Amino acid sequence: MTKANKFLRSKHFSLLVLLVLELALFWALSRNHSFLKLNNIRNILNSMVIYTLLAVGGGLVIVAGEIDLSPGYVGTAAGAVMASLLANTGIPWFVVVIICLALGGAFGLLNAVLINELKLQSFIATLATGSFIAGGFAYIVVNGKTLEINNSALELIGTGKIGGFFPYMVIISLAVIIIYGVILAKTKFGRAVYLCGGNREAARLTGISPKAMSYILFANSGILGALAGILYDARLKAGNLTGTNHYVFPAITAAVLGGLSLGGGHGDMLGCFLGLLIISGFNNGLVILGVSPFWQNVASGLLLLLALTLDYFTKRRAKGGRARGKTSTVL
Amino acid sequence: MEKLLQFCNINKSFPGVQALSNISFSVKGGSVTALMGENGAGKSTLLKILSGDIHPDDGHVSIDGVPQRFESPYQSIKASVSVIYQERQLVNSMDVMENVFFEDLPQSKLGFISRAELRRRTQEIIDAFGLPIKPNDMVGRLPVAYQQMVEIMKAYRRDSDIIAFDEPTAPLTDKEIEILFKLINQLKARGKIILYVSHRMAEIFKISDEIVVLKDGVFVNSFETAKTNESELVKAMVGRDIGDTYANLKRNENIGGVLLDVKNLVTKDVHDISFQLRRGEVLGFAGLVGAGRTETMRAIFGADPIISGEITIDGKRVHFRSPKDAIAHGIALCPEDRKEQGLVLGRSIRDNVSMPVLSKVRKGPFLNTKSEEKLADAAIKTYSIKTPSSEKEAGELSGGNQQKIILGRWTSDKMDTKILILDEPTKGIDVGTKAEVYQMVCDFAKLGIGVIFISSELTEVINVSDNIVVMQNGRITGTIAREDATEESVLQLAMHN
Repeated sequence: MTKANKFLRSKHFSLLVLLVLELALFWALSRNHSFLKLNNIRNILNSMVIYTLLAVGGGLVIVAGEIDLSPGYVGTAAGAVMASLLANTGIPWFVVVIICLALGGAFGLLNAVLINELKLQSFIATLATGSFIAGGFAYIVVNGKTLEINNSALELIGTGKIGGFFPYMVIISLAVIIIYGVILAKTKFGRAVYLCGGNREAARLTGISPKAMSYILFANSGILGALAGILYDARLKAGNLTGTNHYVFPAITAAVLGGLSLGGGHGDMLGCFLGLLIISGFNNGLVILGVSPFWQNVASGLLLLLALTLDYFTKRRAKGGRARGKTSTVL
Repeated sequence: MEKLLQFCNINKSFPGVQALSNISFSVKGGSVTALMGENGAGKSTLLKILSGDIHPDDGHVSIDGVPQRFESPYQSIKASVSVIYQERQLVNSMDVMENVFFEDLPQSKLGFISRAELRRRTQEIIDAFGLPIKPNDMVGRLPVAYQQMVEIMKAYRRDSDIIAFDEPTAPLTDKEIEILFKLINQLKARGKIILYVSHRMAEIFKISDEIVVLKDGVFVNSFETAKTNESELVKAMVGRDIGDTYANLKRNENIGGVLLDVKNLVTKDVHDISFQLRRGEVLGFAGLVGAGRTETMRAIFGADPIISGEITIDGKRVHFRSPKDAIAHGIALCPEDRKEQGLVLGRSIRDNVSMPVLSKVRKGPFLNTKSEEKLADAAIKTYSIKTPSSEKEAGELSGGNQQKIILGRWTSDKMDTKILILDEPTKGIDVGTKAEVYQMVCDFAKLGIGVIFISSELTEVINVSDNIVVMQNGRITGTIAREDATEESVLQLAMHN
């Protein structure tokens, strides 16, 4: 198979086709073709920031064959703690940020302990730590109220723009996905993530430690979740009760759409990025066209199904007409 | 009327290979027809066509002269065909009786499953088999050998006219094999059509009446079992005379000093294990399935915890907390279950070969794909792995080639393997490749590597090893040198009480 041929059959290609179709559609339908104006492209990237951070952290966990539902809630808790510390103590803002990132890491480690030592399923364990413990913790910290944040440094990070146009937060999120993309694709650590996700026992029997891997990845997902919460609150200039809670499912959806398969062992950050772009672009396009929020939900569901169907056909073609997704040695 | 199963001009291709070309032969009721051929010969594909799992591009199966078009396994079952695959099709979380009556659970008048009836009928089948299991034992908790027997009970219960077995004895011990053969003979006496796929010569001669040989998806010949012999069959399968495999082995003549010394090793599965492995020695481990050989090796390799005992390598006491430590000391393990524990099937050959040496194929902080490729290409060349490139997914290769990837992994020039543990390296591998594996084992020994060779096939473990350790019930019951070993003496140690 030639390189070009291989690309035509790759996940990235089918994602690009979908993205181009989507961009063309909204470009054609939007008034003055405003959808693809520089301003709006920036808006799309800006709306992706929180999703990107959650998708990168949660996505790595997915590649390793587990799932983490907690980072959105952890972000809310971290943001709440940040708002509370800034309001009630004199701790400098950057120390507060570090404390909050550490809190995110601690939640991740808690997940890892539950999963590796108590052998809970990651779905249940992270749902419990996230939606209940971290979510409840956020309420307690801010005492059920929204806390205003008055800090010029955080305000600059949250709302500042290069040249008055390009938000710092977008730069941060792009840097994060690129750095993690390189780590996943190019380093020993990244390869070990794939190997553990592909076959945990085989990886262990060749000297890789899936357990250590699991601790690192969950802690990392917690830290990125906290970062997402910090940036969210910095942009909002307030720590509130629901914060990044509702960002985690769309983020995971985008990651899966981008080819990070839930069974583990497959996918990369480029695909994840394309998945994020497709979903965020789609949501943005619907808003520009003035579609009612209720129909936006339905449309998003249809988009996801379309993407998965497209993926099915690409896979089938790549396997030469064999309908089964499973690789099997038939001979 | 005598039953008749015919394969008529069956063709099947997969991307890049013609798996079956123009296969035609017929099988009569009241006899056992063995299907033989190397891996990739097309036996499994043919059985999958018979079971309706895959569809032929051309040609058809016909039963009693009536052409059949099976769109699904369900239709094939309805046409009175049962295929028992190597990979068991059981629901581990259900009990024996639910599995046995899977698609035909007896119901009461109200439409509820009748547990009492189910239990009674399952007990009848268990009694016919003469096995010490209960109808409500959870299948996932049974030993593998009994799971296989449950799979066979399922086909027995359906009372199908056509029953096909794909390597049924691989996980079985001699006792269950005896039961299986007794059953097959009963089924035969009742006029059933029986297809039997196996790599084990001795079994084929014991149980079959006819032998059909396939090679590279083509029908080679059929033989009457009583009128043929092993070398004729091997010649037909391999396409050449491979001669006496064991006599032709080029063995290592210089066995060195003690490399690995295990003293009084105890784990939760094995007791008081003591043995020594010398440099350049092939040390066989014989025993029945479940004798504790795999468990012993996993403990030595740091994969399972040790309760007590001493392990010494090159005179130095070692404590391994994980396989990583063991690998750092030059120990390599090729596990019994290639797919579950050996390979990452969804990754390329290259990625599978470089697994234990990722730290050594780096350029700065990044992996150097070029040097990984070099390792993989070397493995492909050394072991003649059949693949267009090292990019191919490991899961797409045949069993023999998969085994070679694992061997390539542990013997690459980035590895410094001193002790190589091979757990059932020839399981499910064809005759031709088996002979290759035996020579590889001897070649490793010649390099001064101490090789531990676990096998449940008596002939091979006796003839390839320099010394044979025999285990039973988690204990070592004896050690015999090759010159003194006979199948009888080894079997006696493996089964004595």
